[in-house]
Amino acid sequence: MNSIVSLVPLFPLLGFLINGLFRKSLSKTAAGIIGSGAVLLSFIISVYLFSDIKGNEGYIVNLFDFINVASFKISFAFQVDQLSVLFLLIITGIGFLIHVYSTAYMKEEVPADFARYFAYLNLFVFSMLLLVLGANYVIMFIGWEGVGLCSYLLIGYWFSNTDYNYAAKKAFIMNRIGDLGFLLAIFWILGKLGTATYSEVFDLRNTLSETDITAITLLLFVGACGKSAQIPLYTWLPDAMAGPTPVSALIHAATMVTAGVYMIARSNVLYAMSEVSSDVVAVVGLATAILAGTIALYQNDIKKVLAYSTVSQLGFMFLALGVGAYTTGVFHVMTHAFFKALMFLGAGSVIHAMGGEQDITKMGGLYKKLPKTTWTFVIGVLAISGFPFTSGFISKDEILISVFEKSQVLYWFAVFAAVLTAAYMFRLMWLVFFGGFRGTHEQEHHLHESPAAMTIPLIILAILALVGGFVQLPEAFGGKEYFNEFLSPVVPAMSHEGSSVATTEYYMLTGTVIGLAVIYFLTRKKFAVSMFEGVYTGVKKFLADKWYIDELYDAFIVNPLNAFAGFLKSVVERSGIDGLVNGVGRFVNYSSRQVRLLQSGQVGSYILFMVLSITVFFLVFWNQDNIAHFLTNIF
Amino acid sequence: MNAIILSAIWAVIMMLGSFMVKRKGNFRHIAAFGLLVLFVANIADTYGYSLFNFNNHGFLQFTRFGYLFNSIAIFSSLIYVLITGKEISRYGNHTAEYFALIFFVMCGVSMLAFYNNLLTLFLGIEIMTIPLYILTGSDKRNMKSNEAALKYFLMGSFSTGIMLMGIVFSYGGTGTFSLDVSRAGIPNLYNHVASFLEIVGLLLLLVSLAFKVSAAPFHFWTPDVYDGAPSVFTSFMATIVKAAGFIAFIKLCLVRMTATSAAIDWKMIFAIIIIATLLVGNITAVFQQSVKRMLAYSSIAQAGFMLFSLFSVNDFAKEGILLYSAAYSLATIGIFAVLVKMKDYTFEGYNGLAKKQPLLAATNTVFLLSLAGIPLTAGFFAKYYMLAAVVKTGSYLWLVIVAVLFAAVSVYYYFRVIQAMYFKDGNAETEAITPSFKAGLLLVAALIILIGVYPGIILNWLYF
Amino acid sequence: MNILNILIDTVSSPGSTSDYLPIAIQLIFAAGFVATMIALSHWIGPKRNTSDKLENFTSGIETHGDARQPMAIKYFLVAILFVLFDVEVIFFYPYAVNFKELGWSGFFEIILFVAFFLIGFIYIIKSGALKWED
Repeated sequence: MNSIVSLVPLFPLLGFLINGLFRKSLSKTAAGIIGSGAVLLSFIISVYLFSDIKGNEGYIVNLFDFINVASFKISFAFQVDQLSVLFLLIITGIGFLIHVYSTAYMKEEVPADFARYFAYLNLFVFSMLLLVLGANYVIMFIGWEGVGLCSYLLIGYWFSNTDYNYAAKKAFIMNRIGDLGFLLAIFWILGKLGTATYSEVFDLRNTLSETDITAITLLLFVGACGKSAQIPLYTWLPDAMAGPTPVSALIHAATMVTAGVYMIARSNVLYAMSEVSSDVVAVVGLATAILAGTIALYQNDIKKVLAYSTVSQLGFMFLALGVGAYTTGVFHVMTHAFFKALMFLGAGSVIHAMGGEQDITKMGGLYKKLPKTTWTFVIGVLAISGFPFTSGFISKDEILISVFEKSQVLYWFAVFAAVLTAAYMFRLMWLVFFGGFRGTHEQEHHLHESPAAMTIPLIILAILALVGGFVQLPEAFGGKEYFNEFLSPVVPAMSHEGSSVATTEYYMLTGTVIGLAVIYFLTRKKFAVSMFEGVYTGVKKFLADKWYIDELYDAFIVNPLNAFAGFLKSVVERSGIDGLVNGVGRFVNYSSRQVRLLQSGQVGSYILFMVLSITVFFLVFWNQDNIAHFLTNIF
Repeated sequence: MNAIILSAIWAVIMMLGSFMVKRKGNFRHIAAFGLLVLFVANIADTYGYSLFNFNNHGFLQFTRFGYLFNSIAIFSSLIYVLITGKEISRYGNHTAEYFALIFFVMCGVSMLAFYNNLLTLFLGIEIMTIPLYILTGSDKRNMKSNEAALKYFLMGSFSTGIMLMGIVFSYGGTGTFSLDVSRAGIPNLYNHVASFLEIVGLLLLLVSLAFKVSAAPFHFWTPDVYDGAPSVFTSFMATIVKAAGFIAFIKLCLVRMTATSAAIDWKMIFAIIIIATLLVGNITAVFQQSVKRMLAYSSIAQAGFMLFSLFSVNDFAKEGILLYSAAYSLATIGIFAVLVKMKDYTFEGYNGLAKKQPLLAATNTVFLLSLAGIPLTAGFFAKYYMLAAVVKTGSYLWLVIVAVLFAAVSVYYYFRVIQAMYFKDGNAETEAITPSFKAGLLLVAALIILIGVYPGIILNWLYF
Repeated sequence: MNILNILIDTVSSPGSTSDYLPIAIQLIFAAGFVATMIALSHWIGPKRNTSDKLENFTSGIETHGDARQPMAIKYFLVAILFVLFDVEVIFFYPYAVNFKELGWSGFFEIILFVAFFLIGFIYIIKSGALKWED
């Protein structure tokens, strides 16, 4: 019965195979049903697993030995516990909604491309499930690479556009840098402990020296930085918006980018042992949150704003992890998945309605034509800004409290980041949905509400974004922290002790309300349509141009590397390596011709050679000691 | 025991069948059925269900290792008959006899898997090779085939003579033909370990077995014979028979060479043979124009890799040689199956095969990749185990580097075929290809990939 | 000087290998004797080569044609089969000597042996190897 878990990744794999192999003969309807159905089946099983695991011990399902060499063994095993099941629910649940949404969003594609899209999407879900289900770091790494590959394929889905291919390549390369860190961490673990299975690694953690722990956790964090778009490896994520919008929602908001959070939450016992690493995680997370938040303030592409907001929210998650509030980090993953997927899908709906337009300066007043999209999007904005008692409020509030207990300085920076979040989100909301329409007449005529396949996922996600947080309502507000309780067998919750917590909660609630009100009016005034300006100057330009980080990377890393590669190609390779290789080739060819002559075809000469060889053998044998002596003298 | 006796009986059945069964096409079905029976009987035997129980006085020893190898050999032959059996009837009117000879060879192979006595070793080798002389010359009207048969016979008898001399010397030194020798009471010890006569005998045995597995510098017969013999039989000789030779060899090494290793540095002698074999096999294969002859040299090169198991006689080597037998046999059978369908055996003959017969080209690519030892194919793990076995011994590590370099050379000539099939324009002509033939090729390719992903599927049998 | 180990081994101590000493000596002696004799006769003997002397001796009859006349392949086949079955009989000698000691199991084994040969014989007849005319 336990092995039912293997069905969860199996269905998307089957979906991928069917859609991938028969993509030329499948109709769009069939491809959509197969793609969505596979994920739905996985979701149903995940729900069953969820009800089964509640309050129970986690278990490991061994499928087969993946690598088995002498004493070194890595099994292909799945770990079923509260943490992995929670991620299963998020991945398959939101994954299913996005699959359904995609059937409408991608309607314009030709059938073969449509099926290709769903094949990739299914492959992604499969890889992601592998990532969270694996019972050791190696399986996680397989999934990790798999999602990276799918992300690459999907960003470059419209591969006829060179820019998109460039974005896909950029994402892949950035990820590879992170993967290298992850891989090194795995090697380090294997080298020191001889096993990569979580439970064994965690049991043996006390045998590791402090240096080992710090190195391993930092290297793992490098991996997480790549996948979860943290400083300094975050620049790929905004560019990844080249992919279809549902892909951005699924991969670049709800699931794949949270893989880093999952990895750290999974390894929480290791991070708990290293102060240094935890501090690094917290500071990098916070810095990312602020940096991305400031950039998001002046972006004009609707998807770019959301992308930077994602980077910023991921920073929040890492901040939570860094201060030791692992469950809170995971909780923010969940709530963020709700409202960010919601907003991306909403953005998709808007882009759909605008006929492909993504520039928010050309939008405005859409609430009249797209009521469902507007109101669900507004709910998303409220949730991410932390409007009281929405899911985002509860999770972000908890992060802030955890940070407050750790360090006051970090806390005030975090509050600043949260204010930024609200600011750029309200700006986006005002510019897109309210005020007057600024686009062309043709676009205005084209405006229409999206079909049900797109709005129903929006509505479901909106409801989740509104009430999804109540599973973790702080006790100060008369709730109970079910979420922490659920995760407690795997990830220990940070306990907020003392009566001051309740007081703090109330302060925060009040602060939030006041802050939001101020931001509401400020942004309304500041970004009111009449005040809108098309060209930025000064600090605004600096922010709008993303702090010139990409240019910095180009100048200091990409261009020198290119120059170096050019040198290697023109000088080292052409004259050095090519010469050597060709020389070896010529030598082999020459000796081949010579050795071939021995094969004369005459039995007599063959036998003569054999007899001579036997004689040589006997001579060698009788003088073996001398020869061995001789050889050792030479070498 | 089942396999030895049943294969002899089935050989007799095939022989009598030659005048009792009228339709020529039926023979290969009878043969395939016979191999299936052998396979099942051998598996049954593995788990203790033997049809024939009698005291063999220690002449044979039934071990898990032997059983597993025998299963692999019989299974490979079954695959061989299934996908190339049709071609056998192409040569003359003696189809049934050819199959009978194949069964006699299987009898010898089984004997080699289980031998525990130098006499049974000799018997096994002879039962195995004498039918091969005939099969080599079976294309009676072809001068090349006749020449190859005569050459093979002459040189084979030469090596048989050496082997007998080795056995006699060994007997003189130990007073027994059995593999297990108690050396306690033997006088005139050389280096306080073994009788000098025994070591001379073992050296001669080594030479003759090296001849049988076509290790350099005793390989000279191989290219001529493999090239001259009808391709179907070359396929059989180069795979199952060669693997059996290695099994016989490693058993001798495990018992006799290990016991006398303090008196003589067998490792050095094997190292010389390995280097020579890898060198001759790989270097010469590079310059061949005919795919068939290239395969003959490549089989020498592959033998060089298999020799590593004799060099490092440990558990890894034992597992590795089994894996190698399976990987190498399956891939080579597949390649030859495609080869016999080709009208032109040169590299040019393969030009543009991918366009005309995509499936043949694709499966052939899998086989070639496996021979080259590319990961995800069976050949990779086979080579890996061989090299890992050497690393385990802790000495002669430079051999591993040499081997890897030669493996890189081998990629060149294997990829020449792939290049011809996929990247060159041409009109590769083939015989008629039946769907069942394609299915067979697909099966073999699937098996190769399966073993390449999960080698435990074979090796686990060794332990439970 | 290692090559002489083999002799030192056999000479120095009693045991199984020393039994080979007479054989070894005989071997060397026989080979040496033959070689010496041939060489001696070649060197010492007088040589007078005339055309008559170099001719094949055919009891005074003049030679004509080639001695290697083609012969029916059947002849060789029958001869070889004869040798095969003749050799079979040789195995009966040791069996006959040990008839009593080997008992029933020996009897069955020899029956098996004969049966195997018999099948071979049937095969030969059926495939027409003994038919002279075809």
